This record gives sequence, C-alpha cells and structure tokens, in this order.
Amino acid sequence: MGAFSLITDAEARVPRVVVVGLASCFGCQLQITNAEEHLMEILGQIDVRYWQLVTSEDGVEDFDVAIIEGAVTTRESEETCKFLRAHAAHVMAIGACACTGGVTGMASDYLGARTDLVYDGEAPDACGEMIEPRPVSAVIDVDSEVRCCPIDPYDFVAALQRALYGSNRLPEPRTMCADCKRNETECFFEQGVLCLGLVTQAACGARCVNLGRPCNGCAGMSSAANLEAARLSCETYGVPVESFDKALEMFNQVKLTDSETL
Amino acid sequence: MLYRVMDKRELPALVRAFMESYEVVAPVKRGQGYVFDVIESPDDIEIGYTQTASSPKKYLMPPTETLMKFDARMNLVQDYVHEVTPRVIFGVHTCDINAMNRLDTALIGGKYVDPYYKAHRDATLVVGISCTPNDKCFCHLWGADEAQFGYDLFLHDIGDKYLVSMSNVEATNILEAACEISEATDEDRIAFRQATRTRQSAFNKDIPDVQDVAMLMDVFHSDPFWEELGGRCLSCSACASVCPTCFCFDIRDVLAPDGKTGERQRTWDACTSPNFAAVAGGYNFRPTGRERVRHRMYHKLNGFMVNHDRMLCVGCGRCVAACKTGINPIEVLRFFKRKGADHAK
Amino acid sequence: MQSNMPVGTIEVDALRAAPEFMSGKEMLLGNAYRPWPARITSMRDLTSHEKLVEMRFIDERVREAFVHEPGQFLELSLFGVGEAPISITSSPTKQGFVELCIRRAGTVTSALHSMRAGDIVGIRGPFGRGFPVDKFRGNDVLIVAGGLGIAPVRSLINYIHDNRSDFGKVTIVYGSRTPADIMFRDQFEMWRHRADFELYLTVDHPDDQWDGEVGVVTEPMKRLDISPENTFGVVCGPPVMYKFVVQVMREKNIDYDHIYLDFERHMKCGMGKCGHCQIGHQYCCIDGPVFNYWEAKNIQGSM
Repeated sequence: MGAFSLITDAEARVPRVVVVGLASCFGCQLQITNAEEHLMEILGQIDVRYWQLVTSEDGVEDFDVAIIEGAVTTRESEETCKFLRAHAAHVMAIGACACTGGVTGMASDYLGARTDLVYDGEAPDACGEMIEPRPVSAVIDVDSEVRCCPIDPYDFVAALQRALYGSNRLPEPRTMCADCKRNETECFFEQGVLCLGLVTQAACGARCVNLGRPCNGCAGMSSAANLEAARLSCETYGVPVESFDKALEMFNQVKLTDSETL
Repeated sequence: MLYRVMDKRELPALVRAFMESYEVVAPVKRGQGYVFDVIESPDDIEIGYTQTASSPKKYLMPPTETLMKFDARMNLVQDYVHEVTPRVIFGVHTCDINAMNRLDTALIGGKYVDPYYKAHRDATLVVGISCTPNDKCFCHLWGADEAQFGYDLFLHDIGDKYLVSMSNVEATNILEAACEISEATDEDRIAFRQATRTRQSAFNKDIPDVQDVAMLMDVFHSDPFWEELGGRCLSCSACASVCPTCFCFDIRDVLAPDGKTGERQRTWDACTSPNFAAVAGGYNFRPTGRERVRHRMYHKLNGFMVNHDRMLCVGCGRCVAACKTGINPIEVLRFFKRKGADHAK
Repeated sequence: MQSNMPVGTIEVDALRAAPEFMSGKEMLLGNAYRPWPARITSMRDLTSHEKLVEMRFIDERVREAFVHEPGQFLELSLFGVGEAPISITSSPTKQGFVELCIRRAGTVTSALHSMRAGDIVGIRGPFGRGFPVDKFRGNDVLIVAGGLGIAPVRSLINYIHDNRSDFGKVTIVYGSRTPADIMFRDQFEMWRHRADFELYLTVDHPDDQWDGEVGVVTEPMKRLDISPENTFGVVCGPPVMYKFVVQVMREKNIDYDHIYLDFERHMKCGMGKCGHCQIGHQYCCIDGPVFNYWEAKNIQGSM
C-alpha cells in the first residue's frame, strides 16, 4: 500500500505525473479530458511530465506518479511497466485493460493461433514481441486502480487525489448487488436474465443497470468474487451457467485463465 | 392508544393535507415491485403493496450523507448547514415501524446521540398501514407484527374503513382537519378483531418458529453450518442494503476537484463487506464469508437482543428476496429446526 | 417539493463561529462526529517508525472538557485523508496536553509522520472504557505489553506513577521485536531502583549490545512471584499475544475478572454506531477497548 504522501512531504513540490498508454483504445485517456469542467483545477495540482495523448517529449525519467492505461501485450510494454515502477512512488492502473486485461485479454487464450489467423503467420515487427495480454498488476505492483471500460473521469480525479494526498480508505472488494439495492433497480435474475454484478467489483454504482442493461463485468471480478456461489444463483434463477461463464470472458479472461477457476 | 374510525374514501384527502406542509413519500409501483418514493398525487400510492424491495430507512439515514465540510489545507472544519426535509412516510408496515424503533435505539439511545439521524427522525411523521403477510414474511416470530409505538398515525384496514391509532398531536390535527372521523362502533371493533385474526393466520407456516434463538446462536456458533451458509456469500452486501435495521456505515473524506476543500461523508457499509473488520496495517478480524455471515446473523439474532431486549431482525423478508444465494434468517431457523429433529446429529 | 416548507437543520460551525455560551462538554458531545482543532506542540522519534506526538486543543473550553481515563482513545482527523483511532498515551494527570504514540501503519498515521510542531490536526473524543484505575487502587498491578501495546498502558503506568502511594507493587513486562523497537525505555529504566517496581524487557531479536532477555513475554512472567488475591493483570499487544499471556496469569491464579485486556479493532465512529469495531455482541469503542477476561470470554470472536 502506498504509505506515502506527496503533498505533505517536507520539501513539498508539485507532484510530477506521467500518463502512459499500452494496448488499449486510448478511450480512458480521452475520458480524463472529459472532466473538462475541472481539468484546469486538476492540472493545477500536478506537473504533467509526459502524456502520450498530448505531449511529444520522450524519455522522461523524473516523476512521482505513473498512470498506465492499457494491457501489457508485448515484452516491450512489460519493460515499460518495470521502468515506470522503478521511477514512480505511485503507480496507478486505469481502465479495464490495465486492471484486468479487459477486452484485450480475450486474446490471451490461443494467442499464437489467433495471431496466425490475423496476420497469416507473419506478424509485422511493429507489433513488437507479443505475449499473452495481461493486466499491469501481473507485471508490476500497482498502488491504485480506476476500474471500468471506460473509466469515469470523476473516479479518476478522486483516485488521483488519493494518490496525491493520501486517504484512509481501504480497498473494498465488495461485489455490486448492494448498489442495485440502493438504487432500487430490479434484479435481472428475477426475470431470468444474466447479470455479472454478482461477481463484479463494486465501482461504478451499477451504472449500466441504472440504464436498463445488465452488468457485463467491465470493472473486473472482485478479489472476493465467489464464482461457485454465483453459478448456484444462475441455476436457481434459471440462467444457463454456460452463459455466465461465457459472459465473463469479455473482461475477465486473463484472471480466469490465471486462477484456473474454470 | 387513542383511536377513531375513518372511511377509506377519505384517504386521498388525508394524503393531500400532509402534502401541503410535508414531502410525502409512500409505496409506489416500480417495474414488477414497489419502492418508497416521493409522490406527486395520492393516486400514486399503492396502499395494498406487499413489500418494497428496499426499506424506508433511506429517509432517516440516507445512503450517503455529508457530515461536515472542511478546508483540507488548514485542516479545519468549515461552516456547514445540513438541511433536513420535513417528511411524511406514508403507508409503513409494522415491520418497518419496529425497524425504525430499533434504529432509534441504536442511533439515538445510549451515551451518544447521532445528531444527523435524530434530525431526520424528528422531522419525519410516520403513518403506518396494516398489511397481509406474503410468503417471505416472518415478523410475527420476533414480535414485529404489531407496532406498539414509533408511528404518528396507524391505519388498520377493517374493510371499508380504517381504524386509526393516533399517537401524535400534529398528525391528529391534520387528520381531523382533512377527514371525517368518528368514534368506533361495536361493529368496527369486531371488524378489527377479525382483521387481526385473518392476518395472524396468514403467515407462512413453513417458516419454523424456534424457541431460544439467541441462545442457539451461541450454542451452535462453531457448527459447520456457518461454513456452508457463509461459504456461499457473494460478498455483495445486498442483504444489508435492503435491511431496515442495518445501520452500519463508513466515514470517508471526499475532496473537491481542486484538492483544497472537501466533505466528510458517511455512507452505508455492512459487516458482510470483505474488508469491514480490517484494521490499519491490513489485519482482518473476519476474513471469510463464514465469519462475516455468522457475525451478521449473530448481531441480528443475539447481539442486539442481549443489549436491548429486542431482535435486530424484524422479519420483513427483504433479504430473502435480495440474496441471490439464499442466505437469510429463515435458513438459520431451518438449521435450528433440523438440530431439533428427533434424530438430529 | 414545496418551497414554503419549514426546514430542519444541523449546523457545523467553523471554530471561530463556535458560540460563546457553548461549554466544552457540549462542544465535544453535541455533535461527536465533529473534530476540534489541536496544535501539535512537539514531535519526537521513539523508534524508526514510531513518534511521540504531543498536542494541545486550541479552544480552551475543549482543552478543559477533554478529560480521559487511561486506556481510552481518540479519533485523529487529517481532513482529506480521513480519521484514525489512536490510544491516548499520556496520563490524565498531564493536563492541557494529549500525547499519542503514532506508528506509521496506515495513511493517516503516515501523513501525520510528515507533519511538524505547529501544524493543526482535528481531534474528537475521548472514547471508550479505559482501565478501572479505581479498582486497581490499593492493589498490585502486573502490566504485560507487546510492541505498540505499550502506548495505551503507558497512560496507566504514568497515572500510577503520579499517584504512586495509591498502588502496591507494579510489574511491567514489555516485549519488543528488537532493542531498537523499545519505546519509553529511559523512562522505565529510571524506576528500576525502586523496591516497589519491577521491569522486564524482552526482545525477539537481540543485537550485540543487548544484555536483557530474549524470547516471549510469558517467560519472565512465569518466574514472577505474585499474590493473586490482590493483583490485577493488564494485557495489551498484538492479537496473538493475549491467549498466552492470559494463560500464564490464570496459572498464577489471578481471577477472571482481575485480568484486563485492551483490544484493537477499527473504531471508526468511536461512539457505538458505525459497527466496524463490533466483536460478538459488543462494540470495542464503547464497551471496550478494555475488557476484563470474564467479559472477553463471553464475547464471541474476541480471542
């Protein structure tokens, strides 16, 4: 855990931040700019040393906070992560790809076969040395995460502040259903419809369910997820267990493969 | 208790009278179920509702509430006025009235008064309504099928009329001004007796009535049953969210985007959340579902009883519907029943 | 919603607006969620990861009303970071100041470590049930502490010291990981010459200079000669320690309700509401954190 506080350090200086994108759609970096109402206030608290999306300077080595978007899919990006970890006091993973492997992680099974299929046997050099996609935490220690696909700009702001100023909030691996109860939305299972909220990390306040759609698990599985019990729920409410397992692949393929829970 | 009789057709007039000086919340239809929500007209009310998915505790203790505002740089509290809306919660069943009484005990009773809860409670009138139990209700097992106190008016359904218990001057004044009320006749009294009998016999007889539950919670505290029950906990805390008596919370600081000021908030929390009993440094006193579920049941069915002579469960049955893996007090009662079978092991 | 509605309010005023007629007690109890500002008056290193922080309330009324028992705790606020429950390590006899022994354990304590004398923190409390010093009066006291467990019992030790003639023999057994982790050593060593005072320091991992005992606290305990009928036991330390220390105290025939244990849980609100510190049917923050062993035995999940 990040037992450090940048601002209250004796020689207080503006924390230096880098934002790095790995394999992703860059949507989460874009989401940061969507906090435009407060963007200047936020930028006033940090010194952005490098941001792939908006700066062109390269080779920055002095920074306090490293924000990483995207999954690790190559040896080169693995090295990038290690470099960031070695230089930053705080590493933050943002978005599903960086936190769980996300959509990118779907390729982690049969990577070679898939690559052959796409590139007809010869992947171009530009792809780098490909490895099975994995979350940043599979490569280096991560101090904080902003979940979901894409991230919520205000969740990001709050997480950045916790990194800058410290917070006594412990990570809470609760799953999502309590949010639906607070929101007083109807449970999809009561209608025999699959929803991944049963095992998904509570993070978004059940945003999709509030919009009338079941959870697809973009926040990733909670570390306290009880898959066996969730499958039991599926059986009880007439939802095919196979559809539950299949649905988990979209955002949780890597974790499932790693922990061999399937 | 003082009581009078009013014609059911007078109900909209009563609601409208409350709406003149209060925000009125009442059970309304949402999707397949019911929720307590602000009404625009008496017609919105589903007075014959079976059970709302979540309880009216949200009006006494909102899911997230600001306690104070602060200046983070100076490390000082800023001036802050916490406004409380005067409100009538209309159409509350006895389980929820009993639940509010338990919340009062926990949050107003004792050495420390929770000023935020108290402000909401003081600004709230409660109008109760009699109900017919559904298959998940077991309020009668905990004596929560009657509301002895904790309401301002209570409407007992006696056919075409309500027998109204009146326990508050303000509510009674509004009632008397808005509606024709009369002394009860012998016919009304008999109708009331019939109604209570009908209700009493309507409870689901498959839910076991077990003696000495609090003591059984101690006696079977180490039984493998808790592994079985807690082992299927999804760690979602839906149970606590819908529970009308769960009052545990977290206190957290939230900074404004500029990082200079912020709010200290309290937000619903639950002992079934995995990190609830963790201390700084990471040690978790209840690390698994077994301990967490057992602790929750223990507090409901023993702990609160030992301290306050009342179960913290009111048998509303909401968690029975909310928990997707069937963890609820009925399962605990069934376990005790099994232990009481002739050839139990 | 109608606009003509009367609206109830709770007001949380900044310090400068605290009305003059309010007493210190009202300030502390009226809205017990509200911290009052205190200034850090001194800060010194006890070990590499523990500091002794002395604080003083800015408002005189609060300063006078904030009276604690040994074993009680307070909630320390750093706005933006949050709160942490901390045992008060100074004796009630030290008036006007509050001392805390702060281990860098979580984010609040880490942030506090980087603060300096003159900085302002928020404090609310004092909370909980401390050691029953009135019962201890006239009796011997056997105090067993491990690691940071010395923080709350130091309050008791100093209290006994300041009212020395009221108490019988005082024995302190204090275990630390290494000699460098021993806190308040100078202070305790100063008393060694007294006939009515015994001190046993043990460490798990000695260094080259260490000439004291090596091992667990129960070893010196076993050698003690105590008179069980007029001895009270006090235990405070890491969770694993309790069972073994209590066992030895029981072997020495100290009665169930003469053994006092100081429990650690996450007291978030401090007033028996939020539920985080529940142990069985009890709240560590109001029913404890000090429980006697008889009470503790009656609490599911206490040990």
